[in-house]
Amino acid sequence: MKKINTFGLITFFVLLLVNLPFLVIIPSSFTAAGYLAFPPEGFSFQWYTMILDRPEFVESLWTSLKLATVTAVLATVLGTLAAFALSKYKFRGSGVINALMLSPLTVPSLIIGISALLFFTRIGIAGTFTGLLLAHILISIPYVVRLVLTGLSTFDYTLEKAGYMLGAHPLRVFWDITLPLLRPAIVSGMIFSFLTSFDNVTVSLFLVAPDTTTLPLAIFTYMQETLDPLVASISAVVILLSLVFIVLLEKVYGLERLFGLNSQSH
Amino acid sequence: MNKRLSITLLTAPAMIVLLGVFILPMLLMLMLSFQDENQAFTLQNYTLFVQDSFYVEILWRTIRVSLWTVLATLLLGFPVAMYMAQATGKMRGIVTMLILAPHLISVVIRNFGWVVVLGEKGWINEMLMKLGLIEQPLRLLYNELGVVIGLTDSFIAYMVLAIATSLYAIDPSLSKAASILGASRIRTFFTVTLPLCLPGIIAGTTLVFSLSMSAFVTPALMGGTSVKVMPVIAYEQIMATLNWPLGAALAFLLLGSTILLVTLYTKLIETKRYKEVFAS
Repeated sequence: MKKINTFGLITFFVLLLVNLPFLVIIPSSFTAAGYLAFPPEGFSFQWYTMILDRPEFVESLWTSLKLATVTAVLATVLGTLAAFALSKYKFRGSGVINALMLSPLTVPSLIIGISALLFFTRIGIAGTFTGLLLAHILISIPYVVRLVLTGLSTFDYTLEKAGYMLGAHPLRVFWDITLPLLRPAIVSGMIFSFLTSFDNVTVSLFLVAPDTTTLPLAIFTYMQETLDPLVASISAVVILLSLVFIVLLEKVYGLERLFGLNSQSH
Repeated sequence: MNKRLSITLLTAPAMIVLLGVFILPMLLMLMLSFQDENQAFTLQNYTLFVQDSFYVEILWRTIRVSLWTVLATLLLGFPVAMYMAQATGKMRGIVTMLILAPHLISVVIRNFGWVVVLGEKGWINEMLMKLGLIEQPLRLLYNELGVVIGLTDSFIAYMVLAIATSLYAIDPSLSKAASILGASRIRTFFTVTLPLCLPGIIAGTTLVFSLSMSAFVTPALMGGTSVKVMPVIAYEQIMATLNWPLGAALAFLLLGSTILLVTLYTKLIETKRYKEVFAS
């Protein structure tokens, strides 16, 4: 038992460490003082109302939400279609296509960001919402493909066959049989894409213009000049928003399964 | 429907994005890194790196910071993975949730939390001063230590995941067999558990190393202007100096040296393992 206790103690310490930023940010955001201090002094909502006076945060929050939503929908559609082809058909080059679909994960975001900037400048979409959106779809596709492929690997194709035999139209089979069975994989792919886009800094960094700045980037820029409780209150808003999606993800799919942890657990 | 047509229709949309936003841009970036101001072919962007000790120094700092991060995540992450492997269903679920959930919240925000904790008027310094342990605030931020703390927080989940996955796969009857044969707990750990989860350790260390080498946000926010690493100077060349060929070359040099070091490391460990197997 002694061994477990030592590991348990270190585990507790590590869990505290990785969650410390949030445990500090949320109380700090309610401070009544004009500067950052922990423990916070007094209690007020002043730094929350202050957010509304900063158009750069309100507008970038709006941009981020819009961007993450469109990214989630498009990446999920594109990734799911490709995963279907890869799982359903055996064909020459399927290995190459599979590797290609996952390849954006193996290249540092820094390089994806720089190369997109160079290319988008040539074709004239650098600094536009479209450019940003395309790059975010690119970095989300691998997750969707991987999740849907995993879902399809245990998919029972005889169910589809049964549908056909009973005379259903292929689209109806897809809509009434295939899609509902894959819903957990597809929905979690969508939520994960949303979070990937909503959190991203390194790729967005190279592709935004002043009027298309995303929220994490606005915080990043603001933080390099000023450190005040305003950063804490806007961060608390982001944490709350992200938490909603994390809980959803846990409910729909399970974080353990999402990160491929419990596949071999006993 | 024709099979060929179906495959094309299903994969085409994603393939177009991959080619147009990833493959083509990468090729363009590679081409650009070999160009001078007049768009003629040159190697100067790469040779500059070897000639100028400024860049070599920065690469070395990037590697140093990454190695410290690997060490910290390994030392802290290994016991967590061991705990998860020994824990039962519910407890394991809670630990997994608490280690993975922060990972899904933006790194900018996590770094901000650390700035509040580690700053000169931060929580740790205030506490130590109040306790009278120190007179001057410790410098925990805007140096390499700060960057390593931030990166460790960012990447420890990957280390834990990699090691835990390999620990889960170990047949528990092996440790039982070892203890029945009279091996002590420590001996069982070193002769059974550790060798069997080595692939997980290798996967975790290489992943954390690669991620640390190319991290941009944490060095920028927690290292300030004093800890410039390769991604930061590549960014400056691209966005501030507007020397795109040099910025592109620096990014590729970083990627190249990361791949080289990771390959050397895995080769070294593999050879050592073969030697162990054949020597005994």
